[in-house]
Amino acid sequence: MKLSLLENLNIKVHKNNLDQKLRYNDGGNVHMDFHGATNTTIEFIINKYGIDTMNDIFKKVGKDVYKDIKDHIKKGNIKMLAKHWQHFFDREKADYSISINEEEIILTVHRCTAYEHVKKLVGNVSSHFCDQTIKTNEALADNTPYEIKTEILGEAACRQTIRKRA
Amino acid sequence: MIPSDHFTRFYNEVFKFLEDQGEEHLEAYWLEISKNQEKHTLALFKEKGLKGMYEYWDHIRIEENCDLDLNLDDDKLELKMNVCPSLSKVLDNDAEPMKRYCDHCAGWIGPLIDKVDHHLVYDVIDRNKPQCVVKIFKDKEKAIEEEKNAKLLMRWPKKKK
Repeated sequence: MKLSLLENLNIKVHKNNLDQKLRYNDGGNVHMDFHGATNTTIEFIINKYGIDTMNDIFKKVGKDVYKDIKDHIKKGNIKMLAKHWQHFFDREKADYSISINEEEIILTVHRCTAYEHVKKLVGNVSSHFCDQTIKTNEALADNTPYEIKTEILGEAACRQTIRKRA
Repeated sequence: MIPSDHFTRFYNEVFKFLEDQGEEHLEAYWLEISKNQEKHTLALFKEKGLKGMYEYWDHIRIEENCDLDLNLDDDKLELKMNVCPSLSKVLDNDAEPMKRYCDHCAGWIGPLIDKVDHHLVYDVIDRNKPQCVVKIFKDKEKAIEEEKNAKLLMRWPKKKK
C-alpha cells in the first residue's frame, strides 16, 4: 500500500516538473506531405459541411488530442506549450522565434514550412489553412486561466501569444 | 499548425465525425484523399506499374518511419506492415480512436489501384493491431485466389458492388 502511495506521489511530482517529456514526442523522419492531406481535408469538410463543422473538429483536436498540454495550461505550466512548439517547429525546419517569460510566451513564425509545402504541392493553399492553428489554440486555452491569440502576419507567417486572461 | 507528425490523430477526429454522418460520407472522403494521392502516384503507377508502386511505398517506408517489408516479383508487390505508425499513433492518443481506422487505407488505395488496372488484396488482419498485409497483383485471378487467405479482407466502395 505504502509503495503504491509513494508511486502515486512520485507521478504527481513528475507531472508538475517542467522537464517532463512531451506527451507526443515524435522522432524519426518527417512526412511533410501530410500537410497537403490536411489542406484537402479542410476544403472537403468546409465545402460539404460548412466552416462551423471544420472549426468543431479543430476544437476537438485542441481539447482531446492535446488534452495533456491543456491540463498543463490549466495548472499554469504554459512552458509545456512552448516546448511543444519548439519540438515540432524544429522538426519541420520552420523559421521561428520564441520569447518566454513567466507571464506570457510569444511564438513568432517567420516562415511556416507547412504552408510553404502545401503551396508547392497544390499551388493554392486553402484560405482556411491557418484555422487549424487558430481554432486548436482557442480550444487549448478554453476553460483555462489563459488565452491564446493567433495573429496572421502575412503569407506563411503568424504570431501566437499565450498570456493570462485580463 | 497541427504538426505533420500528428496528422493521423487529426485524421482520426475527421473519421469519427464522418462516421456519425453515415458510411457514404466516409467513403466520399476516402475518395477525395485518393484523388489527392493521385498527384503523387498516378503517373508513376501508370508508367512503371508494380515497380513504380514499389518506389512509392519504399519512399513512404522511410519518410513515415514504417516497419515495413516490401517484396516485388514479376506479378505482385507485397507490403508486409509489421508496425504501422499511423494506427500506432491513433492508439497512443488522448482522444478516442475510431474503431475502424484501418478501413481508410483500402478506401484510398483501392480506387487508385483500380485506375491502373491492377488488383488489390488488403488483409487488415485485426483492426486493433498496427499490422497488415497488402498484395497488389497484375492478374485478377491470382488476386481472387489470394483473397481466400485473408484473415480480415478490406473492401472499398467500388469493390463492394
